Amino acid sequence: MRYDSITEAIGNTPLVRIDPAVHGLRNIDLYAKLEMLNPFGSVKDRPAWHMARPHLEGADGEGTVVELSSGNTAKALALLAGMHGLKFKSVTNRMRVPEIKELLLLLGAEIEELPGRSECLDPTDTDDPLTHFHQALSDPDSTYLHTDQYFNPRNTEAHAAGTGPEIVKDLDGRVPDWFIACVGTAGSSTGVARVLREHDPAVRVLGLVAHKSDFIPGIRTIDEVHQVGLFDPGTYDTIESVTSGEAIDGMVTLIRRCGLLSGPTGGAAYQGAVRHLRDADAELDGTGERRTAVFIVCDRAESYLSYVRRRRPELLGQAKRGHTAASLTDAEAQAEARVITVADARRWTAEGDPRPLVVDLRSPHAYGALHIEGSVNIVDEVFDELVRGGLPFSKRTPVLLACPVGEKSLRYAALLTRRGHPDVRSLAGGIVAWRDAGAPLVRE
Amino acid sequence: MDVPLYLRPRVEPPLASLLRAQTFLHSLVDALGSPLNVLIPEVVAENAARFRAVQRRHHLAGRVYYAHKANRSSSLVRRLAAEDVAAVGIDVASLEELRHALGCGFTGDRIMATGPKDAEFLWLAARVGATVNLDSPGELEQLAGLVRGHGLARVDVLVRLSGFESAAVQGGTGTRLLARRSRFGTPVREAEALLSALERHRDVVELTGVAYHLDTTGVEEKARALEQCVLFMDECRARGLAPRALDIGGGFGVGYLADAEEWERWTTALSEAVLGVRPPLTWRGHGYGLRNEGGTVRGNAALYPAHRPTAGPGYLDELLSMPAPVLGRPSATLLLEHLHDLYIEPGRSLVDQCGLSLARVLDVRPAGEEPDRYLVRLGMNAGDMSLEEHGVLMDPVLLPRGGPADGEEEPVGVFLAGNLCLEADLITRRLVHLPRLPRAGDLLAFTNTAGYAMDFHAHRAQRQPLARTVAVEPEGDSWRWCLDEDYWPLTSPGGTTA
Ligand SMILES: Cc1ncc(COP(=O)(O)O)c(C=O)c1O
Repeated sequence: MRYDSITEAIGNTPLVRIDPAVHGLRNIDLYAKLEMLNPFGSVKDRPAWHMARPHLEGADGEGTVVELSSGNTAKALALLAGMHGLKFKSVTNRMRVPEIKELLLLLGAEIEELPGRSECLDPTDTDDPLTHFHQALSDPDSTYLHTDQYFNPRNTEAHAAGTGPEIVKDLDGRVPDWFIACVGTAGSSTGVARVLREHDPAVRVLGLVAHKSDFIPGIRTIDEVHQVGLFDPGTYDTIESVTSGEAIDGMVTLIRRCGLLSGPTGGAAYQGAVRHLRDADAELDGTGERRTAVFIVCDRAESYLSYVRRRRPELLGQAKRGHTAASLTDAEAQAEARVITVADARRWTAEGDPRPLVVDLRSPHAYGALHIEGSVNIVDEVFDELVRGGLPFSKRTPVLLACPVGEKSLRYAALLTRRGHPDVRSLAGGIVAWRDAGAPLVRE
Repeated sequence: MDVPLYLRPRVEPPLASLLRAQTFLHSLVDALGSPLNVLIPEVVAENAARFRAVQRRHHLAGRVYYAHKANRSSSLVRRLAAEDVAAVGIDVASLEELRHALGCGFTGDRIMATGPKDAEFLWLAARVGATVNLDSPGELEQLAGLVRGHGLARVDVLVRLSGFESAAVQGGTGTRLLARRSRFGTPVREAEALLSALERHRDVVELTGVAYHLDTTGVEEKARALEQCVLFMDECRARGLAPRALDIGGGFGVGYLADAEEWERWTTALSEAVLGVRPPLTWRGHGYGLRNEGGTVRGNAALYPAHRPTAGPGYLDELLSMPAPVLGRPSATLLLEHLHDLYIEPGRSLVDQCGLSLARVLDVRPAGEEPDRYLVRLGMNAGDMSLEEHGVLMDPVLLPRGGPADGEEEPVGVFLAGNLCLEADLITRRLVHLPRLPRAGDLLAFTNTAGYAMDFHAHRAQRQPLARTVAVEPEGDSWRWCLDEDYWPLTSPGGTTA
C-alpha cells in the first residue's frame, strides 16, 4: 500500500468475526467493524475528513477549525487542520478523560471547557457559554470554520458512502440481520443504517446509549441524543442503554479474549449486542437457520486508562511492593515512632551534636513558600520511593521528619525505626505547630 | 394516567418524624395560619458539625461561615451562635443581616461581611471588628477612608478574586476552562493593583485571607480557583503580606430527591413532552427552558440538579480530594502544606433538612378540559415557597386532615395554584403527582425549603398574610415549638409544648 497522503488511508477497515466461544451465541455470527484501525484511531476519521475537506482544500493557511467535541472528532480534526496549516479548537464540557485532553494538546489543539451548571439558578440567564460560542461563530469577521458534527449531514454521508457499503461488501453483498452501534452524534448509526435498509429493509438496527446517570466517553444518554440534529428515532428499531460497567466488561472481553484493542464504546456495543441478541439466538435453536450481526468498534483502549482506573482499579492493579508507610497500622505507627515536641525540636536543631538533618515532606512549592531554616525538601511521594529500597540516610545521622500536621512524618518515623535507624523523630503537630508556637520559618 | 411521575423528597430524621406529627402540624396552622414555615434549629448545628468533620478529616483548621442570605430566620442564627466560637461564624451580605447576626449573639470577630457593601455596612462591620471580604479595589479605598476618618481599629480583610479562567492559559495553546461570568470579586489579572492598594493601606487594613465564590456545580473549576488562590497567597507572602485563610465560598449543593430513577424518568419525560411524543407535563406546555426546533431539543433545562450523588459535606470532601491542576497535590494537601486555614460559606447546604413550608388546601377543582387533572388552590403564593423559582422540582407531602380516608388511594396529577389573582401565580408549573386527591382543609408540606425557598421571594402583594415561622424541637414523642423570634438556644427553650 502506497499513499500520497495519510487521508487516503481513511476507511476500508476490517470486519472481524468474534469467536462464538467468546460470545456464546449459537446461531448468530457476530462481526466487529474495526473503525479503531483508521489512521487517526477512530470511527470519526471519516466524517472529520468529509466535513472538513471542502474548508481545508479552499483554505490558504488562515483560520481555525472549531468543533464541539470531547475526543475523537477533535483528534481527527486537529491532525487534518495541522496538515493544512490551520489551527484547531475544541469546545466541550465532556472532556473528562485526562489522557485525551493531553493527547489533543500534543496534537496542537486548543481546548475550551464549558463551565459546570449554575448552582443558584437564574431562569432568565442568557449568558450560557454555548450561546457565546455560537455568537462568535456567526460574527461576519469570524475566521472560524465550524464543522458542526451534530447537525452536519456530511457526517452521516461519510458513513453512507464508506462504512455501510464496506460492511455489505465484506459480507459478500448481503446485509447483516442486525446492526448495532453506539449513538454519539448519530452519524455512523444513521449513515450505515440508511445504506443497509436500502439493500434490505429487513435489517434491524439497535442504537445504544449510555445509561442516564452514567458516563461513557463519546456516547450520549437518551436525553442527550434528543439534542442531536442528526438523531431521528425512526432510524432505530430499538434503543437500549448500557452502563459504564457493561462497557468496561465488553472492552475487557474484546481485549483479553479477541485480541481487539477496543475502547469503552466498542465494549459497550459488544456487550449491548450480546445482551440484545441472546433471546433471538435462543429462538433460533433447532431451526437450523443462521443469522449475522455487525457492531462497530469505534476506537482504541489506550486513551481510557484513567477512565478504567477510576471505575475498575483492580484491572490495572500493581503487584504489592515491600513494606511501605501506608502498610503500617495507626497503632503500629503510634507505638514505634519517636515524636518530638516543637520546643524540644527547636533545641535539638540548634544545639544537637550532631545536629539532626531536617526533612520537610511537603511539596516543593509549599516548601519554597515557608520552611524551617536548614531543612531539606523531599516531597512525600519521592520519599516513599526512596524508603521502599532501604534507608536513605546513614544511621549515624539523626533525622527530624516534618510534614504539615505530623501525621505522615509519624508513619515514616515508625517505618525507618523498623528499618533499624536509631534516631529518627517526627515533629509533633508538624510545621503547623511549629508556626503556631512562633518558631521561625524562612522563605527562599 | 400511566405511571405517576413522582419526584419524592429526600427526608431524613428528624424532619421525617416531624412530617409524621400530622396533628401537631395541623394545630400549628390552625393557630398561626397558612402559610407557615417550620424550622428545626438543631439540624443546622448538626450540619455545621458535618462540614467541620470533613475539614478535620483533612487536618484543616478554619471555620464554617453560615451564609445568612439563605434564610432570614433568627432561630437558625441563634442556634449557630451557640456553637463553638472557633468553628462556626456567619457570612452577612447586608447591613440588616449584620445587625441581625450581632443581635443573635455573634460577636464581630466571628462575622464575615461579603457582597457589595455601602458605607453604613462597611462602617458597622469595621466598628464591631468583623472581617470584611472585599469585593473590589473601590471597596478597599472606601473602607480605608472610613477607618482613617473615624479613627477605627485596623480591620481584617479578605480579598475576593474572580476570573480564574483567563489566568490558566499557558502560552497560546492549551486548555482554557471557561467560567460563567461573575459580577463579583476582583479578576485575578487585576490583582496587581489590588496588592499595591493593600500595601498602601497597611496601617488600616490587614490582609488575613483570600476568597472566591463561584456559582457553579463544577468541582474542577473550584479546584482550579483554589489552586490559583494558593499561588496568589504565595505572591502576597513574597511581598510581605501574610494572608492565612482561604475562603472558598458556598455552593456545595443539596440533594433534594430521594430517588435517582424518579428524577431520570421525569427529565426524560420532559424532553419527550417538548418533542411532542408524549402529552405535556406542565401548565400550558412550559418547557423549563427546553424547546423543540424541528424535532431536536434545544436550549438548557433551567432546573436545579435535584438528585445528586454528592452534595453538601460530601461535595466539600470531593473538592478537597481533587488534585490541583498545576501542582498536582490534592486541594486539601495544598492548603495544609502551605499552612492555610480553610473557610467555607455554605448557605443552602447548611440548612439542608432544616425545615418545611406548610400550606392549607383551599379548593380543589378539575383543571379545564383535561380529564384526571386537577387544580389545587393553596393558602400560599409563589413568593411564599419559591422552590419552583429556583428550579427545584420536588413533590409536596400530603398531610390529610383527620387521617387518611380509606378506599380513595388513587394517584392523581394536580397543578398547584397560589392565592393571588394572577394567572402566573402557580406554586408549580409542573404537573405534580400525589398519591391521592387532596381535599379542602388538608395540608401540603413542602419539605427542605429552608435554603432560599422559604422567604427569599416573600412579599406583601394583595395584602395576603406573610408566612410566620416557628422553631420546633422534638420532646419525647411530641414536639415543642415557639415563634422563630422567641427562640433562644438555651437548655430549656421557651414556648409551649404541643
Ligand atoms: C459569597 C457567597 N458565599 C456563600 C453563598 C452561599 O452559597 P450556597 O447557599 O449555595 O451555599 C453565596 C451565594 O450567593 C455567596 O455569594
